[in-house]
Amino acid sequence: MFQYIVMRVMKGGLTFLAAVSITFLIVRLMPGDPTTAFISDSMTPQDVQALNTSLGLDKPLPEQYALFLRNLAHFELGQSFFYKQPVGDIIAPRLGWTLLLIGTSLLITLLIGIPLGVHSARHKGKGVDQAVSTMIVLGISIFIPLLAFVLVYVFSLELGLTPVGGAFAPDVEDSELISDVARHMILPTVTLVVVNLAQIVLYTRSSMLDVLKEDYIRTARAKGVDDRGVIWGHALRNAMIPTVTVTGLMLGKMVAGAVLTETVFSWPGVGSMIYEAVQKQDFPLLQGAFIVLAFSVILMTLVTDLVVAWLDPRIKLHAESTR
Amino acid sequence: MREKNFVESFTKHRLGMIGLAGIVIVIALGAFGPLIVTYPVGYNEATPLAAPDREHWLGTDGLGLGLIAEIVWGARTSLFISFTAVAVATCIGVPLGLVSGYFKGRIGGLIDSVIEIAMTIPALPLMILISAISGPSMGTVAVVIGLFSWPTLSRIVRNSTLKLASMPFIEAAIVLGIPTRTIMFKHILLNAAGPALVDLTIIMATAVLTEAGLSYLGLGDPNAWSWGGILQNAFRAGQHFHAWWLIVFPSLAIMFFVVSFNLLGLGINETLNPKRD
Repeated sequence: MFQYIVMRVMKGGLTFLAAVSITFLIVRLMPGDPTTAFISDSMTPQDVQALNTSLGLDKPLPEQYALFLRNLAHFELGQSFFYKQPVGDIIAPRLGWTLLLIGTSLLITLLIGIPLGVHSARHKGKGVDQAVSTMIVLGISIFIPLLAFVLVYVFSLELGLTPVGGAFAPDVEDSELISDVARHMILPTVTLVVVNLAQIVLYTRSSMLDVLKEDYIRTARAKGVDDRGVIWGHALRNAMIPTVTVTGLMLGKMVAGAVLTETVFSWPGVGSMIYEAVQKQDFPLLQGAFIVLAFSVILMTLVTDLVVAWLDPRIKLHAESTR
Repeated sequence: MREKNFVESFTKHRLGMIGLAGIVIVIALGAFGPLIVTYPVGYNEATPLAAPDREHWLGTDGLGLGLIAEIVWGARTSLFISFTAVAVATCIGVPLGLVSGYFKGRIGGLIDSVIEIAMTIPALPLMILISAISGPSMGTVAVVIGLFSWPTLSRIVRNSTLKLASMPFIEAAIVLGIPTRTIMFKHILLNAAGPALVDLTIIMATAVLTEAGLSYLGLGDPNAWSWGGILQNAFRAGQHFHAWWLIVFPSLAIMFFVVSFNLLGLGINETLNPKRD
């Protein structure tokens, strides 16, 4: 297992290196002057000179690259055009809000999706099959801003049950902060859960159907284990493997969904910051947001891969046999 | 013969046919609609932000422009983006998948690692960065979406190729001395086309959604009407809660197109792999 972890962490590191290298190249290989992405009109010539030196824009490309990686290792992501502050300082407090939103939605999606997938696998048949495939098609076709608008319109504006946007009321007491944030979180969370639920149901269901055909399930049934024991005790662990794998693959899409969702709900995370940065043409902030989000996704993918390895002993055995 | 059978069974798949019909409708809208409806531009005589009525079926926007015309012209943008993106994704994804599946050894492993890395990197924030720096243009957005859509296609073609490469008819072709290129791009590709086709419909659907998302965030082409762009205009002007039609109708157009592609994919998939119960 240890060897597998080391291998997997190295792969994650390589992926991150690829991600940041792409941003390095994009900014420098774009048509026109590479400095336009970093230099805004409001800078003085001294500012520009200082920036050129810190980015090494007057040096050859390999040296710039080395400098870029060194800055990154020191968490230096550049200076925001608009806020005139280091990019890292602006993103850091917002990242927590985004991770809170994505984490909560993911947890709720799994808590609803897995039992639903198991249930629909046990009651398979033409009607259920049709319902599941229709649900999948609708789920992957949802345009997030529409869903979010409809939710705000109905529940906040018409019924007045939920706040319109933001993460907490400006005048909230410290003691009520948690419940206030929870109230603000309901609609954005519902949006992300609805969008992602179908995939989790699909994968849990189809892998459950596969697992239930296995010999060891028949053996368990022959030994007199009841239906519930077979499903939750014997089948679920193996049926979970594709579900967890697809959860890892969904993380990138969840981040994309969070960007759109946060924008509609003015949720103070990285997503709504990206929207503001687009309007203000704040390129260093956009680059920093991508790097931070890429890092988070790669880290979370690593975690799901380790969970898969823990669920599926064949993976770590394979890693050890190819030593 | 097999193609004929496929078409015949596909026509019996009701949802698949509905999807196909939906795509034909959008193509017809994009092709012929602009011949009837004039390009919405400048200010208009009509009342700004008029709710849908008999004169303006879908209402007007903040400049008094009719929403119908904007949606008709927006169909062209969505069609252009989805077809360009799928073409770009095919040109990258199919050869990479074929090569990595056919040459299993070091090259295959290397390409597979590249595919995996490309799948892990979150695409939307990177697309936002690229579109923002390069400036909003329809061509850039289409190519950028295509450049981030190939990994799943590659993976699917690779898996089919791995299976096919060890089949007797391919081994026979190798023994007969048929050039490797012919084997890969003719014998294997034809047999791997089914699952790839399903993924192409998903790529098109996702491309439409992504374009709408980027335009909604303000990265669309300001010189072309697009469904996501109508939303962005309303959102930026703070009209989104007063004028619900500016949000609902373009969004429904987006989802109509996306659902059509996904139903087509569902139809092709279930025709290729009929359920045996």
